[in-house]
Amino acid sequence: MSFLLQRSDVGEFRRRYRWLVLVVLVAFMVVIGRLVQLQLIEGDVHRAQARRNIVRERYLATTRGVLRDANGRVLAANRPSYTVYVTPSKIDLETTWPKLQKLLELDQDERKKLDERLRRVRAEALAPRKPGEKERRTEQQLLLQYDVDRDVVAWLETHEPAGVEVAPTPVRYYPYGELAAHLLGYMREVDAEALARLEGRGYRAGDRIGAVGVERRWESYLRGQRGMKKILRGLRGNLSRENVEALEAKYLEEPRRIEPVPGRDISLTIDIDLIASIERAMRGQLAGAVTVIDVRTGRILAAFSKPAFDPNVVSGGAGVAAAVDAFKRLISDPLKPLLDKNISAAYPPGSTYKPFTALAGLADGLIDPDYEVDCRGGYEYGRRFFRCTGVHRHVDLHDAIVQSCNTYFYDLGARISIDRLAAIGLDYGFGIKTGIGINPEARGRMPTRAWYTRRYKEAFRGGFTLLSAIGQGASTVSVLQLALAYAAIANGGTLYQPQVVRSIETSDGTIVQEFPPRVRRMVDVDAEHLKLVQKALEGVVKDRRGTANKESLEGIEMAGKTGTAQVTHVAPRGVDPEKVWYFNRDHAWFAGFWPARAPEIAIVVLVEHGGGGGKNAVPVAMRVVRDWIKLREKRLSARATQGSP
Amino acid sequence: MRTDRVSFRAGPSVDMPLIVAAVVIVTLGLVNLYSATSVYVDSAQRARLADVYVSQIYWVVVGGLLAIVVAAIDYRHFERLANFLYLGGLLSLGLVFILGSDIRGSSRWIEIGRFAFQPSEFMKIVLILMIARFVHNDTRTEPRTIGHLLPAIAIVAAPWAAVMAQPDLGTSVIYLLIAVSILSMNKVRRRSLLTMVATVAVAVPLAWKYVLRDYQKARVTSFLDPEADKTGTGWHALQSQTAIGNGQLFGEGFMQGTQNQFGFLPDQYSDFPFSVFAEDWGFVGGVCLISLYAFLSIWAIHIASEAKDRFGAAVAIGVGAMIFWHSLLNIGMAVGLLPVVGITLPLFSYGGSSIVTTLVGIGLLMNVSMRR
Repeated sequence: MSFLLQRSDVGEFRRRYRWLVLVVLVAFMVVIGRLVQLQLIEGDVHRAQARRNIVRERYLATTRGVLRDANGRVLAANRPSYTVYVTPSKIDLETTWPKLQKLLELDQDERKKLDERLRRVRAEALAPRKPGEKERRTEQQLLLQYDVDRDVVAWLETHEPAGVEVAPTPVRYYPYGELAAHLLGYMREVDAEALARLEGRGYRAGDRIGAVGVERRWESYLRGQRGMKKILRGLRGNLSRENVEALEAKYLEEPRRIEPVPGRDISLTIDIDLIASIERAMRGQLAGAVTVIDVRTGRILAAFSKPAFDPNVVSGGAGVAAAVDAFKRLISDPLKPLLDKNISAAYPPGSTYKPFTALAGLADGLIDPDYEVDCRGGYEYGRRFFRCTGVHRHVDLHDAIVQSCNTYFYDLGARISIDRLAAIGLDYGFGIKTGIGINPEARGRMPTRAWYTRRYKEAFRGGFTLLSAIGQGASTVSVLQLALAYAAIANGGTLYQPQVVRSIETSDGTIVQEFPPRVRRMVDVDAEHLKLVQKALEGVVKDRRGTANKESLEGIEMAGKTGTAQVTHVAPRGVDPEKVWYFNRDHAWFAGFWPARAPEIAIVVLVEHGGGGGKNAVPVAMRVVRDWIKLREKRLSARATQGSP
Repeated sequence: MRTDRVSFRAGPSVDMPLIVAAVVIVTLGLVNLYSATSVYVDSAQRARLADVYVSQIYWVVVGGLLAIVVAAIDYRHFERLANFLYLGGLLSLGLVFILGSDIRGSSRWIEIGRFAFQPSEFMKIVLILMIARFVHNDTRTEPRTIGHLLPAIAIVAAPWAAVMAQPDLGTSVIYLLIAVSILSMNKVRRRSLLTMVATVAVAVPLAWKYVLRDYQKARVTSFLDPEADKTGTGWHALQSQTAIGNGQLFGEGFMQGTQNQFGFLPDQYSDFPFSVFAEDWGFVGGVCLISLYAFLSIWAIHIASEAKDRFGAAVAIGVGAMIFWHSLLNIGMAVGLLPVVGITLPLFSYGGSSIVTTLVGIGLLMNVSMRR
């Protein structure tokens, strides 16, 4: 090996070798130190993270409980609905996309808009990776259509085109639409605030929650519990079933699956056929409310508030856009369709309150059945003249109620203290919440001397008591309160707690909990006094001079009281009521019970700004009771045939 | 003394420790590649990954044969050839820009028929030979000044610039580290050393501002704060550390590492094979592998120390430096000590050019070892 002369000396290098070895050792020791940290000290943390990486918890949807009426008719259920999503990066633009456009019957505008979005997302997803960018969300989905036709779902499920996904999204379905909407309620997406409160109870963003009515109040029963399924993430393509199962057995911790618990079904006290009949009877009116309750139990048989809304639409059953649109309209409507006028609103009761004034007078001994007042069209009190509806001449208690004579009650109002009047009202449940539990309750108002002093900051005037005596002035009641109070008159003084829920059942029909009638209290009243009032109320309908007589129907033994409640202080006397601005017109009332002698139901009809109670509210009540009698017979005979086949 | 031991050698004798270490690493690499490529994916993807495994075996064979050839020719011939190899290397680096196929935004490969190779990889060997030649011919005894080292700097600068332009930060860093490692064998005047350190200190911020691409900067920033970038580069680094940590003491077992098998490791067979290995075999396996690289690096220094001339010693140091820096940077990045740059784990990572280059380097070590 002489071709290369050994020209240089390796001696210069000698001293370096030891240093180099040291550098190598130190460098690798640092790396090993890091391994000690990662694998030995933090090993458990990293293993936990590695498991979290591959294990995903999928939720298993539960089904919300069904709402039924007293006769087992479904009032709220769950309708299968399907949403179509497309994955722009995967869909076949040549065949699948045009076919899909046709199937979904997209119009020109939608087609163009969706086409643009789809192509944009697709271009983004399929663009070549930029330097350094190693992974990208290529599977972004677009919502194509909500609540897709069954035929389309069937086609998609048989053909399974790439890049198209059909996701079941059950929708709450209310088969009777607007009927009983306020009482049943509707569903909405849970908002951030509620979510923060409810997260511990298993709510997630995007969940739906009962918004008002029974849906809201009984949410925790209806909702059910979603299940959970653990799955492995990161498995791609067609691994064999056995392989996947083996991996699952290895990596998924027990419990691997928790079955969902369906929500409880709820049977309500209401009769949807009766509500349908109320709806028919109220067709001539713009706005109002009707409550029918069983005087023997306090159960709500019907609650109707007009105008209403379609819970299907506001729950999102016709798409999110339709729901938003509906809310916009509902909120701006001056007739307040979202308001439950049975429970959440209070109105001056007008003459329907007179029986309670009379009971107060009887209780305090200020009047007796024979006490008479000479009505000459009004009552002079202080420097004011309080008008009556007519000139009734000599009226006793019975006549005063039958003919709705104000003068008689002005006379009583002049002698009774307003606080005493309020106290008797309170005893019948006015001015306090009824405890029905659904929807925000209007308390109503039984004004007292203290209230007036607080309110007007001036001396109390006796005239206030006169107005309260005829159910005007500051007195307000809710339709529900009035119905319960009339029920108390009808049933001999029992004030019930109103109920809308009869029982709670599991999804297979086993009764979990029943709700027997609940008495709030026995009203402190003399039975004789009640009889007097009952008889007078019967006269209102039966007596030829009675205010409800003209509109009464043959063969319907009703008792009750009409009311025409003034809305404004400017009494538009002598003016054609039809020409008064709608929102200044009087409210028309009728409150009563049927049958007059052995009462079963109490009914209260309020026609908002309907004018005179006798003319406008009574016909509604009559028709509803007439329908109820037919329904009742049908139910009784059906029960009889069931009993003896 | 060592010199008289050398003189008694009858002829070339095979360096067994070197061969054993190399063969063990290559074998472990193949075993690990099998695990890395058998992730839970569908059949089509699996077929593609099987191709990866088979082609790696081809490359090991090719590299092994080349290593034998390289070992057989007396290394001093390479000193003469170095100039030509260097010119050829620069030429092929230039060709990359004309013929290069663009992979992930940087052109590093030249395709010839079915094969694609990376000139920048082979340039590492050429660079070692070229700098070794410079060191060999530099017979000064006084400490070197910058002026003295200028030719060596020029030798590195040309390929370094070409590789930076591709852009390939990892390889360009390796070039510098190899050159510095070999040159560090010389005495350098203290003032010159300080000047160089100062120059680097100035150059780094300038390079940050004007030379590095955004994605390269992103790697560094996400290394400094991986939590800030959970889906990009920082995510890769975190997943790699999770994989290694998941290995714990004895590992999840062969082909059982979930981070790898469920597809949470990015580029698991080229950039992060260590993570796959450490997840499957745990701390024990990781330390073994690191020990093998430490042994290989130290053994190269040992071979250098016994070389009979400066060229041989410098070549051995160069190859040792190549293996050392590659393995240190790759593992350092896998364990999260260093930012993610595409540097392979020698003899272990998937990649024809990388494995052939390293095996040729082993051949050179063998060459020097046999001819001491």
